[in-house]
Amino acid sequence: MSVIDVRNLGKTYRTIEKEGGVKGAIKALFRPQYREKVAVHDLNFQIDAGEIVGYIGVNGAGKSTTIKMLTGILYPTTGAVTVLGHDPQRERVANARNIGVVFGQRSQLWWDLALIESLNLVANIYEVEPSRYKQLLSHFSEVLELDEILKTPIRSMSLGQKMRAELAAAFIHEPKIVYLDEPTIGLDVMVKQRIREFIKDYNQTHNTTVMLTTHDLGDIEQLCSRVIIIDAGSKVYDGPLHAIKQQFGKYRTITFETNQPITNVQLPPACEQLSLSEYSLELKFDRSQLSASQVATALMQQIDVADFTLNEPDLESIIKHLYQNPTAYNEVAVNE
Amino acid sequence: MLRYSKIYWYFVVQRFKILMEYRLNFFIGSISTVLFQGASIIAMWAVLRQVPSIQGWTLEQILLIYGLLTLSKGINHLFADNLWVIGRDYIRPGQFDRFLVRPINPLFHLLADRICHDAIGDFIVGFGLVGYAMVKLQLPITLASISFIILMVISGGIIFIALNLITAATAFWIMDSIPVTNLVFSTNEFAQYPLTFYHRSVGILLTWLLPYGFASYYPASYLLGHSIGWMAWLAPLIALVSITIAYRFWVFGLKHYGSTGS
Repeated sequence: MSVIDVRNLGKTYRTIEKEGGVKGAIKALFRPQYREKVAVHDLNFQIDAGEIVGYIGVNGAGKSTTIKMLTGILYPTTGAVTVLGHDPQRERVANARNIGVVFGQRSQLWWDLALIESLNLVANIYEVEPSRYKQLLSHFSEVLELDEILKTPIRSMSLGQKMRAELAAAFIHEPKIVYLDEPTIGLDVMVKQRIREFIKDYNQTHNTTVMLTTHDLGDIEQLCSRVIIIDAGSKVYDGPLHAIKQQFGKYRTITFETNQPITNVQLPPACEQLSLSEYSLELKFDRSQLSASQVATALMQQIDVADFTLNEPDLESIIKHLYQNPTAYNEVAVNE
Repeated sequence: MLRYSKIYWYFVVQRFKILMEYRLNFFIGSISTVLFQGASIIAMWAVLRQVPSIQGWTLEQILLIYGLLTLSKGINHLFADNLWVIGRDYIRPGQFDRFLVRPINPLFHLLADRICHDAIGDFIVGFGLVGYAMVKLQLPITLASISFIILMVISGGIIFIALNLITAATAFWIMDSIPVTNLVFSTNEFAQYPLTFYHRSVGILLTWLLPYGFASYYPASYLLGHSIGWMAWLAPLIALVSITIAYRFWVFGLKHYGSTGS
């Protein structure tokens, strides 16, 4: 059963275009020129209970705008969102009880209050039953190692401590759905790992639905079974993580090292030269049309190969390729 | 309602803890309000001591107006001071979003987030002036007159909050609403004096458009026994109408809220 239902969702921002200088400012005041910017366009997807979905795309692709519409912060321009049967804008309070939110870039807690005071305040707002709160607090203290920072005000915390504090605050009312907007941004590997484990563990024990935006593909690879890619406000991929590699990672690269300078090479079809230096040649080929041994054989007949390495595409390079070549999305049908 | 009172109380307690951490700020804030008010009163006294009365109004009578206005202002200052800085301190740095994902009314959350203790200064000055004027003018201090004053001060406070709420809501479009709030709020200074001092248009403005007059001039006139008829009792109704309009405008503004950046 889907817990998040997004239909034809769109958001257009209207901003006043200003020319520079005093003259421009006055002109903008009396005769404003509006500029419309489509941030999200005709978005459709459903997310089931217990899924961890990675929501990725380049900066400005519309990730945060989508999350803000799902959480009820922004009103959509078109379409509708239903979260556990509630309209997040019109039924704000009812929706807020079901969700937890972490924005990696900004704090949800009170700057001057000690963490424990902030958590008490949050628990109070969400009406967490006191004995349950005590239980959760001791559990979170353990898994997120909060003991050392419970009495510390947020303003004097390190980034890693702050993020652990944010997570505790977002989960203290046991939300059914959690939105995490770049939860690991700027953190060291140890803290990242702890946070990923926390999310994974919580998802498994509570069947909590998680929607995660990130630029760290480690987050995606370790947590998400499903990925939605958004580009220029539209969905360009929606499907299992492993299928991205199959669908977009159809190219492999092979590098040959030689002892003699390389001259005059005839490439087999479906094979493309990526780089060539005196003693090294890097090729890219379509795995569906050629095997690595076919390429190697063809080359070895022409040049004196000392060594060669074969590279499988990793997720990072696939995503990078997709981000750099938006038309690449069209190479395969979007998995609905 | 009970739930909101409990949460509000919890916010007050937390706020107090923060204040105790910055104890010096606490005293400076309260004292500066008293000094600020004191300076205005001295200026008024300097003008009025030259003449026994202006248009039949004595210094004590004007101080009564001033005192009532200060008490109403104090209510706004204490409960709704965060409306001033919604754009600068909440919307611009992206802090407003968190109010929208919590299961309580976002306006309540904004107001509860910072109860402004500086208002203590307003209450000290306001009570002092009203008390002084009532004694000097030999006005009856009875249960009826005290109840009347409390009702009018609360109504006046709500009028102040309503006008600030409207101007604060402009932040949803223009981000920095402080100049707009300041522009409207400053007109309350006209209400420190009898509205009959000014051109008719100012009186109409402060009665029907920016009804600060109901926080000062009208209740003072009634206490002084001037015949102003039903105008003396209109403040609660004006307060109710203003706050309703203001809240609707706020809700309308929320729909235009665009949040910031990522």
